[in-house]
Amino acid sequence: MMRRRFRYDLWTFVLIAAWVILLILLIWPLSSILRASLLDNETGAFSFVHYFQIFTTRVYQRAIGNTLIAGFGGMAGALVLGVTLAFVTTRFHIYGRALIQTLAVVALVSPPFIGAYAWIVLFGASGVVRKGLASIGISIPPLYGMLGVILVFAFKFFPHVFLITSGALSAINRSVEEAAESLGVSPARRLFTVTFPLILPAISASALLTFVLSIADFGTPRIIGRDFNVLATEAFNLYGGEVGGNPGMASALSIVLIILSMIIVFGQRWVLRKNVYHSNLIKKPERQHVGGVKSVGLHVLAYAIVLIGALPAIIVVLFSFRRTSGPVFQPGLSLQSYEKVISTVSDPIWNTLLFSTVAVVAIVITGTLIGYLISRRPNIATGALDATLMIPYVVPGIVMGIAFITRFNDPPLALTGTGLIIIMAVFIRRLPYSARSVAAALKQVGPNLEDAAVSLGYSPGKAFMKVTVPLIVPGILAGALMSFVTAMNELSSSLVLYVGSTITMPVRIYLSVMDGEYGTASALSTILLVMTVVAVYAAFHLSGRKESALL
Amino acid sequence: MAGLKIHGLAKSYRDVRVLENIDLDIASGEFFTLLGPSGCGKTTLLRTIAGFQHQDRGEIIVNGERIDHKPAHKRDIGMVFQDYAVFPHLTVAENVAFGLKARSLPKAEIESRVAESLAMVRLDGYQNRLPAEMSGGQQQRIGLARAMAIRPTLLLMDEPLSNLDAKLRIELREDIRDIQRRLGITTIYVTHDQEEALAVSDRICVMNKGNVEQIGTPFEIYRKPQRRFAAAFVGTMNFLPGRMQGGQLTVGSHSVPFPHGVGTGSVEVAIRPENVLLTGASADGEAIALRGEVRKVTFLGREAHYTLSTEAGEIVAQVADPDRDFIEMEGRPVEVRLPLQKVVLFQSNGDVLSAGRP
Ligand SMILES: Nc1ncnc2c1ncn2[C@@H]1O[C@H](COP(=O)(O)OP(=O)(O)OP(=O)(O)O)[C@@H](O)[C@H]1O
Ligand SMILES: [Mg+2]
Repeated sequence: MMRRRFRYDLWTFVLIAAWVILLILLIWPLSSILRASLLDNETGAFSFVHYFQIFTTRVYQRAIGNTLIAGFGGMAGALVLGVTLAFVTTRFHIYGRALIQTLAVVALVSPPFIGAYAWIVLFGASGVVRKGLASIGISIPPLYGMLGVILVFAFKFFPHVFLITSGALSAINRSVEEAAESLGVSPARRLFTVTFPLILPAISASALLTFVLSIADFGTPRIIGRDFNVLATEAFNLYGGEVGGNPGMASALSIVLIILSMIIVFGQRWVLRKNVYHSNLIKKPERQHVGGVKSVGLHVLAYAIVLIGALPAIIVVLFSFRRTSGPVFQPGLSLQSYEKVISTVSDPIWNTLLFSTVAVVAIVITGTLIGYLISRRPNIATGALDATLMIPYVVPGIVMGIAFITRFNDPPLALTGTGLIIIMAVFIRRLPYSARSVAAALKQVGPNLEDAAVSLGYSPGKAFMKVTVPLIVPGILAGALMSFVTAMNELSSSLVLYVGSTITMPVRIYLSVMDGEYGTASALSTILLVMTVVAVYAAFHLSGRKESALL
Repeated sequence: MAGLKIHGLAKSYRDVRVLENIDLDIASGEFFTLLGPSGCGKTTLLRTIAGFQHQDRGEIIVNGERIDHKPAHKRDIGMVFQDYAVFPHLTVAENVAFGLKARSLPKAEIESRVAESLAMVRLDGYQNRLPAEMSGGQQQRIGLARAMAIRPTLLLMDEPLSNLDAKLRIELREDIRDIQRRLGITTIYVTHDQEEALAVSDRICVMNKGNVEQIGTPFEIYRKPQRRFAAAFVGTMNFLPGRMQGGQLTVGSHSVPFPHGVGTGSVEVAIRPENVLLTGASADGEAIALRGEVRKVTFLGREAHYTLSTEAGEIVAQVADPDRDFIEMEGRPVEVRLPLQKVVLFQSNGDVLSAGRP
């Protein structure tokens, strides 16, 4: 057989450019972490001493175990909540779908760090809700430790699952489900034998995402976990350097964390190895009208999930209007927290807007092209690209930040202290979101459509723009929204990379919480929240879609 | 307009050979039909010609120019897809105008061609609908109108009428044929429906397992099959075992001289049901005579089918405009005559031995 000629086109260029980006922004910086983990702190000689310690020291072993518990626990909780909500809202007629989506977005952007703080305010040892329940005779344990962490993760991360799977659910070809029905499969069985397998790519992608988010999160276990230590908190403490620091050990822990996550990544790959379903999006599923008890039950279920998810954000908004005196909240309402924010700290607002906008524009363009490449031009080079692209997914923000500082400190790439380095970190961290959601959306668009456009005289590039892009706009938009929301709320890498002039809102909030200025933190969080929600709806409005951009 | 030549085309999906070694020579303006069982590689051949996938070897030549290296969108080859591939985000009119816009035609011209194409497929009035609001057959017709509208040098149609009712199918196939003649577009047409193939084609190519079995006019394919597969696949054909020896053909207990048949060995005797003669009917020239019995009579209106068991095997005879007493023949003995003029012999390798007598 003759070898197939390699043809140069737009996609060859995209492939090369993608590799260059990954080399400079990912592999090169991360190599510094790997290197540090393999050097003895004192002598600077090559050694496996850190890894050896991880597997012999009890506290690290416990951290590895806890990390896995938090990861799988958070993932399972988020999946149950997210898939349920997605199914209910895409398949049944629910009043106030827009409100549900808004609350889901609010839950998603529930500002970092202070979200965990809000949970404590509600369910901590002296939490408002806990005390209230105790006064009517219901006693629940305080929200600390393993269970608390898992619960918070579930309610913090389920919106990701919701957004990803509801897109897939509403794009299933109705005929396929109807065929199952006509073959005598009961609706409940059909759900598990037809519907879920069809959206397996979306479900497993969101499972992976929530797992990775859960194990990389250090704020929640830090505030709520108490003695429930995980790899992320251990690494953070060791990098933090409050007690001198141990960069070698911290790097080694980071590498272990990354490897654990990568195992899960390839697990998901394996699950999906044969999964190529195409449907032409012609017959979309319809929303069923139900009445009576069933309808009430579905509404309660949907609203309970999003309301609890949005609870921390709601608390923060309420607190931002409380009167404060220093770190202490006083009775009564006031705008004094906002006055303080406006008069002293408006820089972070502009920085946040600028950095995230630039990053997201770059992410959407690059991510769409790469997502296409991965799903439509499968070969060794794109397969490897896809696998490599999973690394930023699983690298904790702190680690990425430190890697960037190490590598971009000296000419020709002396970028520390600039806004660009913060943008670059956000870009590389969130690129996979966009690429993945585009790839997932493409799975549901038959490749014949593009062939049809080509046969009508459009070049592959034009056919892509005219046919494929409009069809995957929901996917692109979902990816863009997630990138934007996460870019605005990016804390961990910015925390390492910021200097006075490039401080962002999340960093400012974190510092305020650390200084005990909860009023300022709440006001800032509220502003961030409003900005995010406005951005989401602006995007949705600009895209001119009557249907919500999120579903 | 354009002729198409294909030399030694082969294509595999990983290690499965789907097209073995295809040679075709299609004249300019010809209506050329690919006919073959499901999975024989028809779609694959069309997609390779259109340029959506690249052949492993072989040449594709349009108008004397090799087009293998041209990207698909520069080939000016229109295609109607088996699964429609209608753009779900565009209205019916936008779907049809899609290819015209790529050619930057003037707006008025686009509008008139859209209207004309939609009228052709009987979809006028549906301009502003979205494909999701149309039936499967209507979607299929959008795909058809869309490909015809650009008036390509070469038009490939992959079962474009498979989803339509019998009446519309006949109407549209005549329309397609008329427009194709009028515009002189060289067309390759894929169908499962032999009647459709016989009705519209200039020539038919019978394919099997990635090979060309026979190419010929509808008459040649039906009357002068060159391969056993083509004979069996197109129309109904009776096959009886026979033996050739010394210029004599033996079927059952009967031997007749068969001077044109050369060689010695077992052969298969093939004859169409409409050429089988029953008692009473007189044959011109020589015929194989067999004794048999009528097993079953199926009355179909303008004709009747007789299933006969003979000493050489079971055969079906077709009688046009049957009389009443013909219908009541079930269970009766009958003499069957197979006119040598109408008989085709196949060797055991499937090649024809002699297609009737001159
Ligand atoms: N992408 C693919 N990968 C592997 N094998 C394939 C692929 N596409 C088609 N085939 C195989 O190639 C053979 C020919 O397929 P093709 O679609 O050309 O058949 P066809 O003649 O058009 O059939 P039909 O009349 O059912 O449409 C089939 O056996 C099919 O299973
Ligand atoms: Mg086919």
